[in-house]
Amino acid sequence: MVKFYSSSDTYTYPFTAVTLAYFLRYPNPYSTHVLSTDTIARHYDPTTQRLTTIRLHLKRSKLPSAVLKLIPRSLIGASAGGDTQAYILEKSVVDVKEGWMDTESRNLEWTGVLSVVERQVFRRPGCTYGDDIRQTEDEDEGLWKGMEGAARRHGFIAQSSENTAADKITNNGETTEVASSVTLHSHIGEKWKKRSAASSTAPTEEKVGFFKSLGTASLQRSIEIIGLKRARRSQPNAKEGMKVVLERMREGGLVGVLEGMRRDREMILGGHAHAFKKGNTSGEEE
Amino acid sequence: MSASLASECNEVKERYDSCFLKWYSEKFLRGTATSDECDPLFKQYEKCISKALKERGIDSMLKEAREDNRENDAEHMRPKR
Repeated sequence: MVKFYSSSDTYTYPFTAVTLAYFLRYPNPYSTHVLSTDTIARHYDPTTQRLTTIRLHLKRSKLPSAVLKLIPRSLIGASAGGDTQAYILEKSVVDVKEGWMDTESRNLEWTGVLSVVERQVFRRPGCTYGDDIRQTEDEDEGLWKGMEGAARRHGFIAQSSENTAADKITNNGETTEVASSVTLHSHIGEKWKKRSAASSTAPTEEKVGFFKSLGTASLQRSIEIIGLKRARRSQPNAKEGMKVVLERMREGGLVGVLEGMRRDREMILGGHAHAFKKGNTSGEEE
Repeated sequence: MSASLASECNEVKERYDSCFLKWYSEKFLRGTATSDECDPLFKQYEKCISKALKERGIDSMLKEAREDNRENDAEHMRPKR
């Protein structure tokens, strides 16, 4: 497991509003490549008062030509132009009492080649959730520590915490911290090896053979670099999308968000898919 | 509201989503939720979407991913105290 990207940021909206916007973030004008979103599992635990949600997103994406050169299209189900669809599994846990939301998204397909795991932790200022996780999980924990120090110095991490109802979104100075990381797990051949060891059914020899012929180490590196570039490029759009949803919420409440969504959905169906994209022609994630 | 993967589930999804949003913003976020009031609607939606996932062969892929996820959760998402 290699972590390639991490950042921390602050939204100028209350924590409760940010959690609601997270659930309502598709569609938005920056997510016209997201075709569908379904909740496939949801659990509310009355004891802990935590809500766990698993959602499945279908995204249209265009594979970079570099990837198409490296991996046969038949393996990833892409068209000649590199158009493909990808399922993304998203898991989130919200604890409104403690003031944190922990989210993780991963691609469901071609995981035998590369899993991109995106994690975002939203926190009410003063909440310490996630501190320990970062330290045990990250290989470069110094990076996180450094950022948090900076956040503290700049006053982003305050010690007070107030609970606010979601319908009262006023800009009264409340903020929400967000820490994001993208982890790339590339394991070419690994899964097939695991599978063939676990069962007697023959592994997909053709695929294993293909990767062997290319030299796994260099191929893996190339794919990781491409994955990193994509993940990094998708971050600004993801953030802009959340901001649009939060602004709509501030202006028109839930109704305002739903009305905006309806317009975005019409636009997507109408085929004006990339009208709002900011210099991003390759249909990136998020 | 976002569209469902399966157009035949859109209607029941919309009903569930509306219920959820109301519950989430009026009860859950205020800390006054005692149970998931939208569960009956979710069950209907789930029935529709499960069928759609199966038809598209996504169910097995999902199962695998969620098992991986569980292992991962045990490792990285354990409660801190």
